[in-house]
Amino acid sequence: MKRLVPNAAALLAVLFAAIPLAPAFAHTGTGVSLGLLSGFMHPLSGADHLVAMVAVGLWGAQLGNPAIWVLPVTFPLVMAVGGVLGVLGVPLPAVEPVIALSGIALGLMVALSARPPLWVAAAMVGVFAIFHGYAHGQELPEAADAVAYAAGFVAATGLLHLSGILIGVLVGWEAGARVVRTCGAAIGCVGVYFLLASVGVIE
Amino acid sequence: MKRWLRLLAAAAALALAPTAAHAHLVDTRLGDFYSGALHPLTDLQQVLPWIALAVLAAFQGAQRARWIILVFPLALAAGGVASLYLPLPAFAPLLGLVLVAVTGLAVAVAARLPLGVLLAIAVVMGLLHGAQNGAAMVVTTDRVLFLSGMTAIGYGVITLATGSAIAFLHGAAWRPIALRAGGSWVAAVGIMVLGLNLVRPVAG
Repeated sequence: MKRLVPNAAALLAVLFAAIPLAPAFAHTGTGVSLGLLSGFMHPLSGADHLVAMVAVGLWGAQLGNPAIWVLPVTFPLVMAVGGVLGVLGVPLPAVEPVIALSGIALGLMVALSARPPLWVAAAMVGVFAIFHGYAHGQELPEAADAVAYAAGFVAATGLLHLSGILIGVLVGWEAGARVVRTCGAAIGCVGVYFLLASVGVIE
Repeated sequence: MKRWLRLLAAAAALALAPTAAHAHLVDTRLGDFYSGALHPLTDLQQVLPWIALAVLAAFQGAQRARWIILVFPLALAAGGVASLYLPLPAFAPLLGLVLVAVTGLAVAVAARLPLGVLLAIAVVMGLLHGAQNGAAMVVTTDRVLFLSGMTAIGYGVITLATGSAIAFLHGAAWRPIALRAGGSWVAAVGIMVLGLNLVRPVAG
């Protein structure tokens, strides 16, 4: 059997054939896909939103039953009310400072492992849910696909809660409980940074 | 041997040639079946309430859930046929959003509904979505194939989703809560887009 000798002409032909002459349309960032992506990224791209949502999950895990299951079911619904206010353009004061404040307050609750009555915790989280929903809802009219955008940011928010709940599983161990409380303190610090930034104290 | 190598290289060059593949059968006659099947899947306003309806049915138990596997695709087909003769009502987009919110809310609270109410939701949803998909047909669309595709995908999705939800519900206590949380996501989407619909009409 003869040795295989690379044929320059054939190799060149393969190379030219591999160069695309027609557009590939690989990016399908229109309509549903763009709406879904932009909605999904909205809570993830703002650290103030992100840490507050994780804190909600952490606190739910610390509080245990029934908060741990009341929270993921009711939060999106209350957030939707805030979303509608944002869509309708109903003026809500100090949205960004309150969102930053939510990080501080929820972080503090986790850091202190606070156990208020369920209705107090629910009311506190509910008020913050309205402000977070408001911020997301303001973007809704501009979305490429409103339903996809809403589905994206609701799913991202729910998954952030789930992340918090899963991290919060550590409370079952003494050292893990300390880790969770430390996470709460760190979230509070992030909240302080965003609060100072939102009122113009730091750039 | 050298000749074979050249032939092989030429064959490879042809195989790698980046021309349009025409993998989508929209240009062929059978393509209208796939168009009908894919049309509802490209709209979350339809897919979300379908899955919510399936989960809602699963919460009613397997005995009752079986009915929507029959009723929903039939309603979908009837809605598609109706679209051939009747114009889409002006309230269709609003009704579609209400269905997203209502089915999501019902799942979020794990509502136990009378069978008649469950089937009424399935019929209204099927008729509406069938008509909305049917309205997308153009003059050149093969209507039988399109409507068959739409009905087949409706049957497939509702059957798989209902079966999966029933199977998922058996087991640990967190499972119904996970489905209820999913329902609250769907409801939240519906409520917010309903709010947007008050500001400007949302295409449905």
